[in-house]
Amino acid sequence: MRFIPTGLSAQELQLQREVREFVKDALPAGYRPGLGMGASRSPEFSKKLAERGWVGMAIPKQYGGHARTAVDRFIVTEELLSAGAPLGAHFVADRQTAPAIIKFGTDWQREFFIPKIVAGECWFSLGMSEPDAGSDLSSVRSAATRVEGGWLLNGTKIWTSGAHRNHYFAVLCRTSPSEDKHQGLSQLIVNLRGDGVEVRPIPFLNGAHEFNEVHMTDVFVPDEMMLGAEGSGWQQVTSELAYERSGPDRFLSTFGLVKYLIAERATGGLTPEQERAVGQLVARFWTIRQMSLSVARTIDDGGAPAVEASLVKDIGTRFEQRVIDVIRDVVEVQLDLDSNSTFEQLLAESVLTGPSFTLRGGTTEVLRSIVSKGLRNV
Amino acid sequence: MSDNTTEIRAALRAILADHSSADAVLAAEPEGWNEPLWRVLDDGGFATIAVDETIGGSGGSLADACAVLHELGRSAASIPFAEHALLAGWLLSQGGWDLPGGVLTVIDDTSGLQIEAAGAGFTLSGTANHVAWAGASTQILLAAVVDGTPTALLLSTKDVQVGGGANLAEEQRRSVAVDSITVPAERTWELPADAVEQLRLRGALSRAALIAGALERVSELTVRYTSEREQFGRPIGRFQAVQRHVVRLTEMAQQAAMATTVAALNGSDAVDFFDVASAKIVAGECASGGAAAAHQAHGAIGMTKEYELGQLSRRLWSWRDEYGHESAWARELGHRLAEAGADELWPRIAAGLLAAGPQA
Repeated sequence: MRFIPTGLSAQELQLQREVREFVKDALPAGYRPGLGMGASRSPEFSKKLAERGWVGMAIPKQYGGHARTAVDRFIVTEELLSAGAPLGAHFVADRQTAPAIIKFGTDWQREFFIPKIVAGECWFSLGMSEPDAGSDLSSVRSAATRVEGGWLLNGTKIWTSGAHRNHYFAVLCRTSPSEDKHQGLSQLIVNLRGDGVEVRPIPFLNGAHEFNEVHMTDVFVPDEMMLGAEGSGWQQVTSELAYERSGPDRFLSTFGLVKYLIAERATGGLTPEQERAVGQLVARFWTIRQMSLSVARTIDDGGAPAVEASLVKDIGTRFEQRVIDVIRDVVEVQLDLDSNSTFEQLLAESVLTGPSFTLRGGTTEVLRSIVSKGLRNV
Repeated sequence: MSDNTTEIRAALRAILADHSSADAVLAAEPEGWNEPLWRVLDDGGFATIAVDETIGGSGGSLADACAVLHELGRSAASIPFAEHALLAGWLLSQGGWDLPGGVLTVIDDTSGLQIEAAGAGFTLSGTANHVAWAGASTQILLAAVVDGTPTALLLSTKDVQVGGGANLAEEQRRSVAVDSITVPAERTWELPADAVEQLRLRGALSRAALIAGALERVSELTVRYTSEREQFGRPIGRFQAVQRHVVRLTEMAQQAAMATTVAALNGSDAVDFFDVASAKIVAGECASGGAAAAHQAHGAIGMTKEYELGQLSRRLWSWRDEYGHESAWARELGHRLAEAGADELWPRIAAGLLAAGPQA
C-alpha cells in the first residue's frame, strides 16, 4: 500500500486552466449543476468537449484518440465534476469501454468504435450486473451459445444506467459451462437497439429514469462483437473495475453541496456550526483528491495500484455520503426537490440518490475484502 | 519523498528500534520524556534537522522535519524534537541567533501571560499551562505580539517555576509560572509580521505528522494481530466484521499521512494556513477513528499497559488536542473559505501539491 504525493506539471496546470475556462463558458448562466456521475446528459456538451480533445484522452492517436495521460484525463474529469457539468452521455464510454476496447478489442472494433467514442457520439452502458448476482459477477446467468457466424445470447441485465439512450453495452455472459465460476465467461458488445433487446425502465428513488432492466432474447451477436478472447471475460471486467475505481467520480458527487451552501448562505455569514462543517469537509476533499490523483500518477508510471484504487473508492464514496449527513445536520431545512434554492435542490437529490454511491462499482463490503487481502499480502 | 528524507527515515528507524522499544517507552514514562534517546539523536545531529546550518543546525527541509516526526510518532518517542527544532530553532533563526546549548522548548499558548514593554526589555508574569517538555529544557522561547510588534523572548528555565502536568501518554506538559521577571533586550528580538502565525501552523503540523506516524504503526500492529489471533477456528482477520475495522484504520492512516506530507512539502518557505489546517483536521479526526478501530479489532489485549497499542493510542488521544483541536481549525478554515466565496472553493482544493510534477 503506497500513495506517493504528486503535484501537477506546468503543462498539466495549463490544461487545468483551459478546462476551467471552457466549463465556465460552456455552461449557461443559471445552469443547474448535477451530482457527479449522476449529472444530466447533454450530447451537445459532450460533442463540444470532444472537439477540444477532452474525450477519449488516453486513447492512442492511431484510433483518433489523443494519447494523453491518466493524469490529464483526471484533470479534465475533476474540473467537469466539480462544476456539476452534464457529462452523462459520454462518461461511461470514455471511462470504461474505450480503454477496454483498446486493451482487449480487435483492430476492427478499435477502428469501428473508438473514433465515434472519441467524437462524443457513441455512448455505452455497462453490462455487468444481473438480478440475484449483485457484486458476485462470476455468478452471472446470461449465456450465449455458438451459432454460425456468432452467438445467440439470452439473459437479463439490471441497473443498466442510460440503456434507454445509449447505443451499446458490453455484456458479461457465460459462453461455456465451467466448474470454476471465473472461467467460461466472455464479453459481447450488444446493440441496445438490436432485435431481441428489450429495455424496461426501473424508476429511481428520486423519480428519475436512469436505470433499466435489459432483457435479451435470442439476440444474435456476430463474432466480430466478441470483446477480447473467448473465456477471458472475468479477467477483463476485473481489470476494468480495478483501474476505474478511484477517479474523481468517486469523491466529488456531493461537492456541490458545500459549494452552494457557501454560494447561497455566506453573504449573511455562515453559523459557527456551518463553518466547522465546511472546514471539516474541505480538509477531507483536499486529502482524498490527492490520494486519487496519486493513483492516476502511479498508473501513468506503469504501476498497478489495484488495492490503492479500491481503498480510494471506499474512502471516497463513503465520504460523498458523509458530506450529505454533515451538511444536512447544520442547515435544518425541509427537503424539497423543487425548492427555489439550488443548494436545497441538490441536498434533496443527494439524500435520495446518496445510498447508491457506495453500491456502484463494487459495494463497500466487497472493496474492504479486496483491501483486506491486499494488506495481508504485503 | 526525496532521497534525503528516505535516508533520514532509514537511519532513524534503526536508532529508534534500539532506544524507543516498547520497553524503553514504558521506562521513560516516570520521567515524562526519553532522555537517553534524546542524547543519541542529539549526538547524531538529528535533533536539529530543519534548523538552519548558519545558526548551528543540521539543515534540511520542513518535509525532512516531518519525516523525523513521522518516525518519532511511529515509535512513541517522547522527545522534544518538534519544540526544539521546528519551533524554537526556527524562532531563533528569525532573529539570526545561534542555537544555545541544551534542550529548547516553546510556550505555544501565551494567553495566561502578561507581557509588557519595560525600557528596552520586557516584564513578564502569569502562568502558561501544558508547556511541552518544560522540565527537560534549559531555555523556553515564546512569541507574542507586544504593543503591535511581533516579538520573541528567550527565558532561562532557572528564571521560571516549572510545575507539574502531563498528557495522557505521560509526556511532560508542565505548567510554567513567571513572577514578574524582567527579560532584558538582549534576550528578545523582533519577528517578521507573520511569525506568530507561522509558529502556530508549524506546531499544528508537527502534531499532524506525529499522528500520521503513530497511525501507520497502529495499522501495522492491527494487521499483524488480526492475522495471528484465532477465534472460532480461524484468524479473526478473516471475519468481515473485523476486516471492517482493519480497513477503516488503514484508510485513516493513509489519509493522515497524505495530508501531512503534502502540507509539509508545500511549506518550503512559509507554511500555508489551508494546508496545515486541513492536515490537522484530517489527522485529528483520523486519530480518533483510527484508535477506536484499532482497539475494537484488538479486543481486551489492547487495553493492557504492556502492549504497544496503548502507548500509541494514548498519544493519538493527546496529540489531536495539542496546537488546536480539529474543531477549532475546522471553524477557522470554514470561515476563511466562506469569506473567499464559492467560486474560489474548487480552485483551492485542486491546488493540491504545489511542487511541479511527480515527487520522486
